[in-house]
Amino acid sequence: MIDKKILDGILKKVEKPARYIGMEQNSVIKDLNNIKVKFAFSFPDVYEVGMSHLGLHILYNLINEEEDFVCERVFAPWIDMEEEMRKEKLPLYTLENKEEVKNFDFLGFTLQYEMSYTNILNILDLSNIPLLSKDRSDEDPFVIAGGPCAYNPEPIAEFVDFFVIGEGEEVTLEILNLYKRHKEGIWDREKFLKEVSQIEGIYVPRYYDVVYNEDNTIKEMLALDPEVPTIIKKRMIKDLDSMFSPEKMIVPFVETVHDRVSMEIFRGCTHGCRFCQAGMIYRPVREKSTDKIVELAERLIESTGYENVSLSSLSSCDYSELHLLITKLMERFEDKKVGVSLPSLRLDSSSIDVLKEIEKVRKSGLTFAPEAGSQRLRDVINKGITEDDLDNTVSYVFKEGWSTIKLYFMIGLPTETDEDVMGIRELAYKVKDMFFAMPKEERKGNLKVTASASCFVPKPFTPFQWMGQETIDEFYRKIYLVKNSIKDNKVTFNYHDPELSYLEAIIARGDRRVSKLILRAWEKGCKFDGWSEHFKYDSWLESMEELDIDGFFYAQRNRSLDEVLPWDFIRPGVSKDYLIREYKKSLEEQTTSDCREQCRGCGIVDCTMLGGGNK
Amino acid sequence: MILRLIFNKKNYLKYIGHLDLMRLFHRSFGRADIPIKYSEGFNPHPKFSIANPLSLGIESDEEYMDLDLEEKIPVEEFMEKMNKVLPKDVQIIKGVYLEKEDSIASLIAWAYYEISFDIRENNSKEELENIFNQWLLKEEIIITRLRKKGKKKIEKEENIRSFIGNLLVKQVKEKEITIDVLLRSGGNGNLRPNDFIEAMNRDTNLNIDLDSIMMKRLSQYAEKDDNIYKPL
Repeated sequence: MIDKKILDGILKKVEKPARYIGMEQNSVIKDLNNIKVKFAFSFPDVYEVGMSHLGLHILYNLINEEEDFVCERVFAPWIDMEEEMRKEKLPLYTLENKEEVKNFDFLGFTLQYEMSYTNILNILDLSNIPLLSKDRSDEDPFVIAGGPCAYNPEPIAEFVDFFVIGEGEEVTLEILNLYKRHKEGIWDREKFLKEVSQIEGIYVPRYYDVVYNEDNTIKEMLALDPEVPTIIKKRMIKDLDSMFSPEKMIVPFVETVHDRVSMEIFRGCTHGCRFCQAGMIYRPVREKSTDKIVELAERLIESTGYENVSLSSLSSCDYSELHLLITKLMERFEDKKVGVSLPSLRLDSSSIDVLKEIEKVRKSGLTFAPEAGSQRLRDVINKGITEDDLDNTVSYVFKEGWSTIKLYFMIGLPTETDEDVMGIRELAYKVKDMFFAMPKEERKGNLKVTASASCFVPKPFTPFQWMGQETIDEFYRKIYLVKNSIKDNKVTFNYHDPELSYLEAIIARGDRRVSKLILRAWEKGCKFDGWSEHFKYDSWLESMEELDIDGFFYAQRNRSLDEVLPWDFIRPGVSKDYLIREYKKSLEEQTTSDCREQCRGCGIVDCTMLGGGNK
Repeated sequence: MILRLIFNKKNYLKYIGHLDLMRLFHRSFGRADIPIKYSEGFNPHPKFSIANPLSLGIESDEEYMDLDLEEKIPVEEFMEKMNKVLPKDVQIIKGVYLEKEDSIASLIAWAYYEISFDIRENNSKEELENIFNQWLLKEEIIITRLRKKGKKKIEKEENIRSFIGNLLVKQVKEKEITIDVLLRSGGNGNLRPNDFIEAMNRDTNLNIDLDSIMMKRLSQYAEKDDNIYKPL
């Protein structure tokens, strides 16, 4: 246990000390002396961000339900806290027992975005755990990682002892049980690692070597041991109703990004948007039943005291019995003043029906994601919504009294022209005009249209994985094209830093050599890169120069379809053939319909969507 | 139906800010099924107020809250339900239904603090009492405070001598000193314990180690005709 007197002294000096104390309602404090396997779960960002992540609440409760296991949390301390901790030589500790992270058996990171990777190194360093996997011994925890970014594990392969590819509910317990068995027998670190590599979905980087061509592309990946698998298949939960679902959630004292019950209603997505990694890797769609959702939502409201349930998934309007679900939830919750919300809505008729139901309780701002400004470009990326969808939905919501509308776009999508980019302005203005086209007495509230543009980052396991990213100069030229054309105080235009997206592109499609870059950048003080006020672009550029790492090679280069990609050894379910077909169709501006309408043979085995509808 | 409560705030929970504490209570009323009254209007909010918000990092044995209920429920039942859902370091100690009373926020006039800190050299209890008495003999103890006036911040000097009540040296363990002190609190003059300690450190030559300071609010008082009394 850490020195609590030192901690007390530090907490008096830092901002928002409640981030560092634990003790929240529904947090679990076990006696560590009676525990066989200690797991420290880390979201490598600040507390408020990490606590808003649903996966944390699932794994936390899953592990803590087991008598022999414990799961405690650790986040990235904010800059001021880190400074004080380093000054007082206080090691990083878990929130529950205030135990040193180093004394745990596992330190598990969830990888939600690439720009959190320097925080992983910072957390290891603050915990006095060697940064490189090869330097760790029995004195150190196993550093493991999972989550969507683990589908390309290579850029952090040197830091992580093993990766979990796919959904973690089942495999986490398999790992901890295996560890317990090994600990109870004769402990041999190497033997445990070898055996863990046999579990489906586990990737142990040290058992593989990568051979490169002269042009720096990958020649092949070699398994160094005949016993380890040459391809790694993702793990997937077959039935969501019988899967572990938490009935409790930790309720933070401080306000977090999502201060509400987050209720998962299904996994996967059927739309097949070509830029979207989540839409590919989480296939197939698997729904929780309405009864199960209502039952869980009730328990969660009871155990947390929250006043809002957010129905979460990749595209919540697609839930096959959404209307029934909302009606049931409304019936249960209306007099308790509990609201129901959907995190993101599509611009189509089904969302109008849903809005009719949920508006009874609260009217907040609405967010829509057309992603591209023109129909042509929306066809390229296969975002299956039309101008008519937008017209219908927006005119409906204005009539019903909403007046704050947010629109999300991407800039730098494949084949994009200036005309497509200017479509962002056209759409935002169109929404404004629709508001003022209403007779004055029907307008409610004060109109505010916000158009936000992020810079497109091609991701592994999407049809755009072969495409080069736009250059930073081009990003800026296009951004200012839109920005300078918007001259209306009702319309706001925001954009993300192209520099940050450039680095994200380098890391997202990086290979093992990128590990060195991340390490060097961290040594130069990079951390919290996702927070624009802390992003040190110059330090990253310096690191690339010193290590002779070519950013163009990773970010902006077009790959040929037969190039060996760093993540090719991972099987996410969708086949490479399907991704190639979609890639070619995108260039021909051909769309692919929702797979609820027709099976497109994406390669998923045992998909339950065949013939339309679920099951 | 106004229920006046005393609750405490201890250990790590002293790092929960006032707004976070309000949200904690709001959620806890919901979880304990307390029929709390809501304000009328477009965005109804629950009717309860905590008097005299505590600064971050200070423990308390005695915080006051007034709570408006739709219907009367027995105090024991209320406390049992609430204390079950509240963290163990924030617990309700006492509750009384009020007839007609002024709001708790307007009543509180003094707060009693226990402050412990380390000083540079050993001093006996008598020596310390002497130092403090000398200091308090002064007619003026001036501190400067930043005041916000609209967007501008202006420095304002204030004589805090009349804001300091009884001062008692409670314990002396070599360089570790514990004092109890009564300070003005609330709308008619307010002296934060941090400002008090800072002034004391400035005017005496104790050389307080500022990192070692620990504070706890022991109790709070209302005032009537020059007498102080507990509002519950």
